[in-house]
Amino acid sequence: MSEAQVSTTHTSIVSRRGFLKVAGAGAAGSALATMLDARQAPAQIKGTTLRILQWSHFIPAYDAWYDKFAKEWGDKNGVKVRVDHIPHLEIPARMAAEFAAGAGHDIIYNGSSILTRLYYKNLVDLTDVSEAAGKKYGGWIPSARSLVDVEGRWYGLPIFYILAPMLYRKDLFDANNLKYPDTWELARVAARTMKAKGHPTGIALAQCADANLMWRSMFFSFGGTEAEPNGSAPTIDSKELREFLKFAKAMFDEGMTPEVFSWDDASDNRYLASGIACWVHDAISAYRTTEDTNPPVFKSTFLALEPQGLPGKRVSVAAPNVWMVWKFSKNQQAAKEFLAHLIDNDLEGMVQSRGYNMPYLTDRYKKPMPVIGTDSKLEILQDFPKIVAFYGYPGPSTTPIQEIVNTFVFPDMITRHCRGQSLEDSIKWGSGEYRRIYAKYKQA
Amino acid sequence: MTVTSQHGGPDATSARAAAVSVGSPGRVAPWLRSQTSRRLAFGYLLLAPAVLYVILLVGAPFLFSLYLAMSDASVGDPAASFIGLDNFRAAFESDVFYIALRNSIGFTLIAALFKGFLGTTLAFILLQPFWGKKFIRGLVVIPFTLPISISVLGWKWMYDSQFSVINWFLSKMGLIGTYGSADWPVWLGQPHLALIACIMVNVWRNFPFSAIVLLAGFTSVPTEVLDAARVDGTNFFQRFRHVVVPMISPILLIGFLFDTVFTLSDLGVVYLLTQGGPANATKILPVLAYQVGIQAGALGRGAAIALFLFPLLLPLMILLLRNLKRREY
Repeated sequence: MSEAQVSTTHTSIVSRRGFLKVAGAGAAGSALATMLDARQAPAQIKGTTLRILQWSHFIPAYDAWYDKFAKEWGDKNGVKVRVDHIPHLEIPARMAAEFAAGAGHDIIYNGSSILTRLYYKNLVDLTDVSEAAGKKYGGWIPSARSLVDVEGRWYGLPIFYILAPMLYRKDLFDANNLKYPDTWELARVAARTMKAKGHPTGIALAQCADANLMWRSMFFSFGGTEAEPNGSAPTIDSKELREFLKFAKAMFDEGMTPEVFSWDDASDNRYLASGIACWVHDAISAYRTTEDTNPPVFKSTFLALEPQGLPGKRVSVAAPNVWMVWKFSKNQQAAKEFLAHLIDNDLEGMVQSRGYNMPYLTDRYKKPMPVIGTDSKLEILQDFPKIVAFYGYPGPSTTPIQEIVNTFVFPDMITRHCRGQSLEDSIKWGSGEYRRIYAKYKQA
Repeated sequence: MTVTSQHGGPDATSARAAAVSVGSPGRVAPWLRSQTSRRLAFGYLLLAPAVLYVILLVGAPFLFSLYLAMSDASVGDPAASFIGLDNFRAAFESDVFYIALRNSIGFTLIAALFKGFLGTTLAFILLQPFWGKKFIRGLVVIPFTLPISISVLGWKWMYDSQFSVINWFLSKMGLIGTYGSADWPVWLGQPHLALIACIMVNVWRNFPFSAIVLLAGFTSVPTEVLDAARVDGTNFFQRFRHVVVPMISPILLIGFLFDTVFTLSDLGVVYLLTQGGPANATKILPVLAYQVGIQAGALGRGAAIALFLFPLLLPLMILLLRNLKRREY
């Protein structure tokens, strides 16, 4: 056989397969697009069962709404929907178990720790659903893609994220002539002043999600970065890290108590609600807890935009929430249709979560937004999407970053320094752990 | 198959083998029919379920974790390749691993001491006749039977940095300062206190188990023997040391073995109380293995960390079981 013949035969096989692939994908894509446009589920999902695994939301009313919402969608489309709720910390273990068994739920939720890159080979490509939603609602906020994108395809659907703004006691600030905490320096001055008067501040320095989130906001606002924009290597060891650590230690020494070493994710809520804290940096669950348990303190609790570290530099690290579909799911069509319906109703989810759930879609930020747009204290949250970032900033949420987050390397480095270890030794340990973890993944 | 020689017939070796094989049934068959062989076969038959159980539920998972520990397996990628001892080397490169190893050993030893002491004391108390004894016996096992998440949640509240009932009580007694003062303990925030707090919960949860095991042993000691020792003029401690302990030592050893295994592999208490913080001060091997292997998804490295429990437990188990066997004969 001549070279030309070989080439012709090869081309012919590839083009036939390629044609089938493209035609199949096109047909499926257009079917989904038509389905999404028509708001009608295809006949083949009728009579099927859809199983969803997700966390127990911090706002129980959201779970009640979600279950009802899923059931109504199921009733309308002839799909039996079962929603299981578990604590978010148990989700990675459950995900590993379901993957190993090749059975379990169809849709699985990830919160804070987003494992898309670990599992993407076994997840359904949701690019069509995300593109349809993006087209309809003015596109996604820039940080959304970094959570679920692997080689240009979306293997998860970001539905909402949880913001962590500054919550401060305006009565205490006013009574002590303290300025609005627009910079971390002003927040530090406030903490120093108020600690002496029995109102210190606190940011968790324990092994909990808050410690991972809040200190990163401060670090990134000081110009620090965690990884290269493409996520390939850590960039933690920097001049900015040194400046940040010096500042963090001063903030701890002057304005906090050792209680922060023992905190969990709810401790700062209680700290604010008890009337002790002059400010905390937390999700608005702290605001809601105070509203429900201590109305006088709630009355004088206000929210501030993420403080600047360097002039003009504000980065707010949020807790992302993403839904994925297993490849082993026998009901992928129904799963996609349900997720498309869920994202169409993300604003209703925001209402039901009392403003806790922030959407990823740009058009959703048209002011006034539900709940937060009509509350004079919360309306500042509408200005956050431009400064929102996630773990690994400015890079994506890679697997080494997930290990770094799950083993609390970043807050531990700060804890070491705040507990008295020298600046350089703390950095040596922290950046050493970053390099070690990255090296393991490079080898693999 | 019989090997043929160059001359066409079977060679000498094959012929000898054939002769032996023809002759054997005559010699073996009677032995197979003997009572000894039947008893042996019956014994193995009875033993088979236990062996099968150990192979399926202990051997297979152990071998699988050994395989994982020597591979680059991740939770999302089953196609793992063999990487030898790299995962073990990776563990040795991290100082968090050494902290976890040290904490695991310290945690187990200290907890075992307290559980032994409290368990023995409780067992002796429960041996005494008193009103409502059965009810009290039922109550003492509650910590052991409560779901770990519920009981640890209770302890988490008791250790809370702000609302700790322990601290408020100690403060009212004048033993510590008031909230906000320097001598207000932060149970889960100070490295040594945090480890002690975790050990306390483990002891609280498990010493009733030790007490029940010891109680079973104490009640099996014949009263005549104790009476004889009493007549010989021994005091309580002498009777305990020279009569009771030697008689119940098999039970004691098994109880100790179980407790050590449970404590060394206990993930729940530390994970739910501190997740290993502050700054890894309470990190133990099971928590580190879980965080690296499951939460971060590096299954191979997680398995390697978890397997370090094995060399810790193996010598102890061999020693205890040999000791037990010696006592049986």
